[in-house]
Amino acid sequence: MKAPPLCLLLLLAPVSVPAQDLKAFEKKVTEFTLPNGLHFIVAERHEAPVISFETYVNAGSVDDPSGRTGIAHMFEHMAFKGTETIGTRDWAAEKKALDSVEEINDSIEAESDKGLKADSSKIDLLKLRLKVAMESAESYVVPNEFLSVIEENGGADLNAGTSLDSTVYHYSLPSGRMELWFLLESQRFLHPVFREFYTERDVVMEEERMRIESNAQGKLIQQFLAASFEAHPYRNPGTGWPSDLKNLRTRDAEAFFEKYYVPANMTIAIVGDVDPAEARRMAERYFGPLPARPLPSPVRSVEPPQAGDKSVTVDLPSQPLAVIGYHRPDQNNPDDPVFDVLQLILSNGRTGLLYKHLVQDQKLAVNALAYGTFPEGRYPNEFVFILAPALNHTVEENQRALDALMLRFASKPVDMETLDRAKTKARSIVIRRLADNAGLANLLATYYVNYGDWRKLFTSVDDINKVSASDVQRVALKYLIARPRTVAYIRTRVPSPAPAGAGFAGGR
Amino acid sequence: MKKLWIVPVLVAAHLAAQAPPSAQEASKKKAGPARPAVARVTAAPSYKDLKYPAAKPIPIPPVETVTLPNGIKLFLLEDHELPIVSGSARIGTGNLFDPAGKIGLATMTGMVLRTGGTRKQTGEAIDQALEDVAASVESSIGESSGTVSFTALKESAGPVLAIFHDVITAPEFRQERIDLAKTQLHSAIARRNDDPATIVQREFSDILYGTQNPYGWQMEHDTVDAIARPDLQAFYNRYFFPANVRLALWGDFDAAAMKTRIEKLFADWTVKGEPVPEFPEVNARTSPGTFLAATGGATQTFFAMGQLGGMFNDKDYAALEIMANILGGGAQSRLFQQVRTRMGKAYSINAVWGANYDHPGLLEISGSTGSLSTMETIRAVQKEAQRMRESEVTEEELRVAKETALNSLVFAFDTREKTLSRMLTYDYYGYPMDFIQRYQKALANVTRADVLRVSQAHLDPNMFSLVAVGNPNAFDQPLEVLGRPVTPISLAIKPPTVAPVAVNTLAVEILARAQKAAGGADKLAAAKDFVQTNEFVLAPAAGRLQVKVRTRWIAPDFFRQDSEVPGGGISAYYDGTQGWISTPQGEGPLVDLQLDQVRGTLFRLYFRLLLGDRIPGRTLTTAGSGGIEVGSPAGDSALITFDSSTGLPKTVSYEVKQESGARLQVLETYSDFRDVDGIMIPFKTLVMQGSQEFANVTVTEAKFNSDLQLTDLDQKPAPGVRK
Repeated sequence: MKAPPLCLLLLLAPVSVPAQDLKAFEKKVTEFTLPNGLHFIVAERHEAPVISFETYVNAGSVDDPSGRTGIAHMFEHMAFKGTETIGTRDWAAEKKALDSVEEINDSIEAESDKGLKADSSKIDLLKLRLKVAMESAESYVVPNEFLSVIEENGGADLNAGTSLDSTVYHYSLPSGRMELWFLLESQRFLHPVFREFYTERDVVMEEERMRIESNAQGKLIQQFLAASFEAHPYRNPGTGWPSDLKNLRTRDAEAFFEKYYVPANMTIAIVGDVDPAEARRMAERYFGPLPARPLPSPVRSVEPPQAGDKSVTVDLPSQPLAVIGYHRPDQNNPDDPVFDVLQLILSNGRTGLLYKHLVQDQKLAVNALAYGTFPEGRYPNEFVFILAPALNHTVEENQRALDALMLRFASKPVDMETLDRAKTKARSIVIRRLADNAGLANLLATYYVNYGDWRKLFTSVDDINKVSASDVQRVALKYLIARPRTVAYIRTRVPSPAPAGAGFAGGR
Repeated sequence: MKKLWIVPVLVAAHLAAQAPPSAQEASKKKAGPARPAVARVTAAPSYKDLKYPAAKPIPIPPVETVTLPNGIKLFLLEDHELPIVSGSARIGTGNLFDPAGKIGLATMTGMVLRTGGTRKQTGEAIDQALEDVAASVESSIGESSGTVSFTALKESAGPVLAIFHDVITAPEFRQERIDLAKTQLHSAIARRNDDPATIVQREFSDILYGTQNPYGWQMEHDTVDAIARPDLQAFYNRYFFPANVRLALWGDFDAAAMKTRIEKLFADWTVKGEPVPEFPEVNARTSPGTFLAATGGATQTFFAMGQLGGMFNDKDYAALEIMANILGGGAQSRLFQQVRTRMGKAYSINAVWGANYDHPGLLEISGSTGSLSTMETIRAVQKEAQRMRESEVTEEELRVAKETALNSLVFAFDTREKTLSRMLTYDYYGYPMDFIQRYQKALANVTRADVLRVSQAHLDPNMFSLVAVGNPNAFDQPLEVLGRPVTPISLAIKPPTVAPVAVNTLAVEILARAQKAAGGADKLAAAKDFVQTNEFVLAPAAGRLQVKVRTRWIAPDFFRQDSEVPGGGISAYYDGTQGWISTPQGEGPLVDLQLDQVRGTLFRLYFRLLLGDRIPGRTLTTAGSGGIEVGSPAGDSALITFDSSTGLPKTVSYEVKQESGARLQVLETYSDFRDVDGIMIPFKTLVMQGSQEFANVTVTEAKFNSDLQLTDLDQKPAPGVRK
């Protein structure tokens, strides 16, 4: 028997670690910025002959233009399709074939846009031509060459991720192959191509089905965000709304790339068995040719104050789960560390208040968590609670118990023992992460981009240490008690299997 | 603080839309400091021109191994980078030793070993002590081994090691944490069908290994309920003794000093145990089959297909890994190229050889695709699998697969923890310590002929079993076109048997008589929906009002009640979990008293009250004068008395909570039984509240199984109707 998925939401982070000295760590870190604005952070760790690389682009799904949601993520997929020299047998011929795919797509779009007056036989004919043109373009492709080269050279944890605030590309290589990374990573941003775009769009539609349509938690979070944010694009799913997604075009991806993949808007972190001087030489050689371009503007939409409570029911064939969110300011607000401490007090292994009361003592939930920053922190966001009711207990019961608990919690300052435990945990989480090349590369880039200095990774612990019991109470009262909130929950609905339309399936 | 905190699993799934997941873990080679590039970079440099320095050897640090006087085998590895000390004990046990009636015993023992505290301290005291110093001690028992691990700052290693020692040698298994573990396991069982990707993995494995043996069976509510504290203690006593423990420690310590320290710490643990028996033989399914778990409304099909695989120590293991890699390992694999890149029909598609250390694993090809491309994708997969056995792979495919495997091997040893844990695992399963070096050599020697030979021997689409989870009505073609009957997989979760020890046989007998009189238990249980309209005439003391109440119910717990009272209508809807209420004053969610009332009314639906022995969770006890009391987990209860001549219910009494908090006794007396669709229903009811007459009720409409629709039930009244 395989182990049951017990820890479905269970977060028992292995803890521990020392107060590592920032001074000691600083000696291992080298930083430089190329003339085009691209910033590098290099950290030496010679424990093993491996290096981890992370490219952090300060643009994500939040920057998707209206009606083009999903484009940041589509571009990220395109970044693995190769370049004008990698992944093709004959770029000139392929380019011509790709242009003709675009032309036919333009014609299809133009005809479809006529609405009722569109000539469907003309569209069918065009679609036939499109198929031929795509096959022609494909005939020049060396499929997945870009990825294969990395794999064959021992690339590990090869992946990328588009989140709302950012896009990251990362993998690790045996240290002797460092130059391969410099070459491939610079080429993909110097000579991006948009080959196999429309087939990849289908892959992304499958990804959307897998992550959201077929996944209860994914669907719940999507519905929660769409309700919580009315104006701010945190409301949009990263994979895009399906109707936007299926209409995305290569020119959308190209425009996104031109605007946001600007050297000064990107940061690269390299951690492992690396010689910083050599890394710098290679950085200059390979990334120097990237042209400098102006920085893009951040999102200017501001979420208006929430007028009242919102509730969203998500009917799914899945056990109940609830997300409850309260608006909070962005990560640069002075109260940011207080939210972190609040999260750690409420949701910290087995001693977090939520676990102690709702899971252990009252046995109302199998899990109860708090997240101080959700979905991301660059813009004003949400403090959320996630409740997974135990069998035979309801969302409603859990919510009532949570409300009572939070009211009691906020009615007096937290005791020192609890506060200190949260601070100890905060410190240990930071230092734990120093032992992992890939995790460290991500943190260095993330902190540099979001706070202007990777040292914030260490100094944030000082900020947390300054948080007082009355800060915790003040922030809880200000943001979490009797404030307008958004509740989204799964209501269990089991569509009848087999005969379609029967039973509840017909009712949905 | 940006991303400092652990990103929630579920959140990550949604937010971080990911690019190409490429498989492959495992490989080797090294690398020295890179040398400057050969060519000056002008136009577009080619990776083909890069020259790499000779790879550094995989740094496998020497592990010190010693057996302590009491029999514990100790593995030590110094690591001075950070001031941390960590350790992990491997215990020879596993859930493969669960008794058939108590599936879940090993898992629960593994959980409560740590949470249930030790002779010296409660679990809660341990939680606090550890988290005060940001340390952890955790325990678990998996399929074929048990683990207790710890990690601590160097300065708090002493007290943390003491707790670690106590958890291994003197666990207390306190009852309250057993109860908590049971709650967790029951909930995990209830949630096991929430995610189709999980369903397909589980069912594929269970079907291939067979669901009647420890490799393929799963815990159920009953098997969890059957486990008690003495079972946990007995399980622990059987497997936890020094000679059955391998203990690995790594971190910032001096190995010799640590050896002395551990020897002293565990010197008091001297229990002896019989050698642990072999794990049961795998007796897996050898005939192919097609299986379908139908999920209505799904837009995507999750599938897995394959056959029994092998073990790590098979002589062809390296060739088999290469085979799986070329078929569906990474971005260069045939399945990825064909199904994802060319067809665009899947985001995730891969093949794994899936070897185990001690019993044959499963060769598995899995993926997901839109419902409409289900068969198209399955066929494409079969075709690629078939192609593997028809001709040799190309020289280039072989080269790439070997490079991939060899070059990435270093990542299996890039931390001390990984290295030590690998050594511990080799020792536990009786593998040679240089297994990885032998594997490396074997990889390098794999030929195209080898890959063809092992494909022909171990990869046969005609012998594949296929498991699909999806909505068959939306498939492009039915699964039957594969040429085999399709066996449906039931995802139904067996409800817990109602408190087996507490069954009151007398109460069940009394109820059985009433069920028979009312039309038969099966007839009652067959009710899928019900509608009834009642006319209430309230007693003079209650104002003589006339009220019409229409009640509708759809199995299992969907409920709607509409009342017409002078001055407006009141409607309430409840779905078994929550609901709403709409009154002339407005509408809102069902809460507090109203929720209790609706739930109570649903609980007491006449014909469902008679099913007290069949509805999961309900309890039956005898009450005075031939009556019985029916209870629910939510705390509802009702006392029924019966007409001794007909056997039919005569009265039902219960309490309702009032605004003031006081409880009001209600007594209903039934008469005028009539046959409604084969079930005897009382058409007249007298309702007493306290000692006062409250209302006379007459049924004007009653119908079973009239195909009520859920959409009608939760329809809110139009605003105008409320007038």
